[in-house]
Formats: sequence, C-alpha cells, structure tokens
Amino acid sequence: MRIALASHGTLCETRFAKRSHVFWVFTDLPFCVKSTLLMLASMYIYLPIAEISMHIGIIIGLGGGVGFLSGLFGVGGGFLMTPLLIFFGIPPAVAVATEANQIVASSVSGGLAHMRRGNVDFKMGGILLLGGVVGSSLGVMLFTTLREMGQIDLVIKLSYVVFLGIIGFLMLLESVRTILRTRRPGGRKTKLHQHNWLHGLPLKMRFRRSKLYISALLPLAIGAFVGVLAAIMGVGGGFIMVPAMIYLLGMPTSVVVGTSLFQIIFVTANVTFLQSVQTQTVDFLLAGLLLFGAVVGAQFGTRASALLRGEQLRGLLALMVLAVCIKLGFDLALRPDDLFSVELLK
Amino acid sequence: MIRAHQLILGFILLLGMNSLAAANSGRLVADLSKSKIAITSGFHGTDLLLFGAVDGAAGDDILVVISGPPTDIAQRRKANRVGIWVNVETNIWQKVPSLYTTLATSPIDKIASPETLASLAIGTSNIGLEIAAGTPIAGQSKPMASEYIAALQANMANIDLWPRQTGNVTLTKNALFRAEVKLPANILSGTYDVRVLQFRNGVAISEDITNLYINKGGLSAGIYNFAHNYSALYGIFAILFAVAAGWLAAAAFRRS
Repeated sequence: MRIALASHGTLCETRFAKRSHVFWVFTDLPFCVKSTLLMLASMYIYLPIAEISMHIGIIIGLGGGVGFLSGLFGVGGGFLMTPLLIFFGIPPAVAVATEANQIVASSVSGGLAHMRRGNVDFKMGGILLLGGVVGSSLGVMLFTTLREMGQIDLVIKLSYVVFLGIIGFLMLLESVRTILRTRRPGGRKTKLHQHNWLHGLPLKMRFRRSKLYISALLPLAIGAFVGVLAAIMGVGGGFIMVPAMIYLLGMPTSVVVGTSLFQIIFVTANVTFLQSVQTQTVDFLLAGLLLFGAVVGAQFGTRASALLRGEQLRGLLALMVLAVCIKLGFDLALRPDDLFSVELLK
Repeated sequence: MIRAHQLILGFILLLGMNSLAAANSGRLVADLSKSKIAITSGFHGTDLLLFGAVDGAAGDDILVVISGPPTDIAQRRKANRVGIWVNVETNIWQKVPSLYTTLATSPIDKIASPETLASLAIGTSNIGLEIAAGTPIAGQSKPMASEYIAALQANMANIDLWPRQTGNVTLTKNALFRAEVKLPANILSGTYDVRVLQFRNGVAISEDITNLYINKGGLSAGIYNFAHNYSALYGIFAILFAVAAGWLAAAAFRRS
C-alpha cells in the first residue's frame, strides 16, 4: 500500500505518509473496507429493536471512536459505549443489552490472542465464570423488574456514576503517583498483595497457572458481582475484575487480562441470551455496525498507543472515565428541563 | 400519479352531475399517494401526498386529521429525592393515538369554534384521553389532570408524534385539494385513520375517511419478528454472530 501511494508521485504525499501513522493505517486497510466505509457514510438506518432511525455514520463513528480508545488503552470500552448510545437516543435498555452482544465479539477477538499466548488461567476463569453466570442471570432478572417499574434508566445511570467515579478516581491517583515517582527516583516498590482475612476462607483450591492457593469463594464472589454489573450496565466488567484479580486475588499480571476476557466472553453471551429471551432488547443490527467500527478503530488505537507511555495512558483513561461519570452525575443532579417523560408501551 | 389524476377527474365529473342534488354525504373524496408504507432498514420517516376533490364554495376550509394506531403511554414524573431527579410517579394513558397530526387550509381556530372541534373530537385536547384505573392521578380533579395532559402533549410534540403546528392544505378552485404529509421516523406500525372534513361557516358539512397502513418490512421486519417470535433462537444467533465476527476480526488483523 505504501508503494502504491508513493507511485502516486508527489513529494508532499510521500512525506505525509512517512509522518502520519494514522494515514498509513488507513491506506493499509483492505480496499473493500475503505469503499464500504465511504458508501455507508450517506445512509440512515432504521434499527429494528431500538425502533429509531439513526445515521449510519454516527453508529460506525461511535464504534470506531470507542474502538480507538479501547485499542489505545487496552480496555473493553463497554463502559464508554453504553452511556454514549444513551446520549445518542438509544433507549437505555436496548443500549445495555446490545452492548453485551457487542462485547461478546470484542472479547472473543481479544481473548483469542491471549489464549494463543497461553495467558489464560482456565481453572480460575472457570470459577469466575461460574460466579458470573449466576450473577448475570440475577442481574437480568433485576433488570427486567426495574424496567417494569420504570426505574431502569435511573439504576443504569447511578451504577455508572458510582463505579466510574470510584475507578476513575483510583486510576488517576495511581497514575499521578507513578508519574511523580518516576520524576523523583528512589521510591519504594509496594508489595503486590498482603495476607489478610480473605485468605482464611474455606474451600481452598490450587490455581497452578496463577501460582495461587486460595479459597474458591473469592473468585466466585468477584465473578458474581461482575456478572450483575454486566447485566445492568452493559459492560464486560474488566475495569472492576482486573483490579480485583490483581489486588484481591493476587494473580500475576500476565494472566489477568486473558483470564478476565475468557470470563467476559461467556458472561456477556449469557446476558445476550437472557436479555433476548426476557426483554427482547438486543439489537444485533446495531451491535454489528458498532462492531464494524470498533474493529477498525481498535487497530488505529493499538498503533497510537505505542506513542504514549503507560502511566500517561492510564492518566488519560482515568480523566475520560471521570468525564463520563461527571456528565452522567450532572444529568441526575441538575433539574431536568422537563419533569415529565413519556414511553410508548406496545 | 397519472392514475390518481384520472381518478380525481372522474370524481369531479361525478360530483358535477350530482351537484344539484347535493347531500351531506359524497361531497368530498380523498385519497393518498401511498396507502401502504413499509418500515424497512432504510426508513427515515416518509412523505406522502393526500389529495382529493370536494364540492366546495368560496371560503370553504378543508381540515385533515391523521391519527395513528392507539397505544398505551406511560407518563412519568420526576421529583428530587436526596439530591437526584428520580421518576416518582407513573401514569398510564390508555389507547392514545400514537400519532396525531392535523393539516388545514387556515389556522384551526379560524375554521371552527372550540365547541365544534370538541364535538368532532378534533385536536389532542378533545380525543378523550383516559387514564388507567389504579394509577396515581386516576379520578383526580380536572385542573390537576390538565397539567398532566399539557405535559403529555408537550412530550409527544417533542418526539414529533403530536406535532403542534398544523400542516398546509391547498384548495384549488374550491374543488381540488392537496396536502403534503410528513410522517416522522419513529411512527408505530399499524392502521392510521385519515379524516378529511369540509367546513363551511364553521360547520362541518362533509367528511371522508381513508386508511393508511404502516408495517415493518424487509430486513427490519425480519429482525423484529425473529427477536419477538423466536427469542431464544435469536439470542443464540446473536451470540454466534458476535463470536464469528470477533474471530474474523482477530484473524483479519493478526498479521498487523
């Protein structure tokens, strides 16, 4: 592709190609992807489950944008996509269920790479998954009840404010600390995990891949908790599970991401299935289009991430998480323009 | 369109012959350029033409009312609870037209008196809104309910389903009328009633009703029906689709 571009001739173009990573990535895409992107740019599409008409460029753009960020930061992106879909007028219930469907795809593609490298602790993943299936099933039941009560939007937004607030704050703290430490050398490394009452729980199991001998109740509980969040927030839950695996379970960092992705694949699949059956809110046309954008965006993001340092990336991610949290928080706290709202029941 | 014009011509001739024996019925005939509309994946609202012939006199007005398939509407009211705005009350309005739009040759208040409009059930204030028994404002006093009705009208106007503005109808030589009808993208599928009324000196003297059928069609209908009729299969399909897409994505970008 680079050669083809150079043969176009002008000096300016070749110089541009050398400088710009992003441009290089675009020219590197298969022709069919490029032409489909251009063709789709001028179309509205009626989403059959969300029952609204949306510009296809917005959908793919959202997928691409969030995909870019998830490639850049190495996160799933569900916690950004679901609120964005809601901002753009997709009914919250549809946004959550559809996002679960999309996360199945993105965690499969991420998970496969980790499995190939042997970065998955299947035994630990299995226990997390067991908890996850129970948690997400309960979560979907809770979701259905809240939806009937007309409170699901509130609960979705509140969960986002609470969890994004906590995680964003902790991440920001951590990255600021790291940045300060690298500037002032001589700082001590903290211990990875300490022994406490959590290690005295019964049902101890040996996890060879993680080099751990801990109670199975811990990963079960973590899995279940994340499962509930997956069902209610339309996220994979990596942003909760990964820190929990590192700090609570004490798993080695190398297997954390792969193992969490392994769990996320099956938990979000379970959510997709149960939401399809109970609430019929999974819009796979929407999921497919988002996915298309996300796959492409993630490639740009991964390449761009090479340009930034780890703690800078985490700091930026933390700011973004906090921004989403603050926006949602203001929406809940400020007096709405209209105290009334309507929903057509069919 | 050619057929439509021939049709109108035919009606005019017919009306001409009967004009001496003018009765209250049969003075007005209306039709739509499309009577069946499919909500397909490319659907982004639709425009259609309403046209017809009338045995009119100078100063006559034509009023068109389009009302969509009845649906129940949950109306929610927010209030501040411990610092955040929460839905605290849900009222269900029963069998409300999901779309209500009017078109006319003059402003509606100049066509007929409020009493006449009320007796003809024209306008969203006159369609006999009913609140479901057991919901909070059921059986409450009139001024209380009127606040809720105004809110309902405002909310429905915001989502383009009960537009406040009256569209235009043009009446040519007191015989032919036409109106361009814009339907929003979020309309429900079902049968729509199109009422066309002829007013003279504030009195409705003839009326015609025609129907418009809106259905989901194409891929969009396929997905919707699949999701609702075979939910479990749909769920499995959605998962398999996602797994395949994820696997494909991983394979496609493996080298890079």
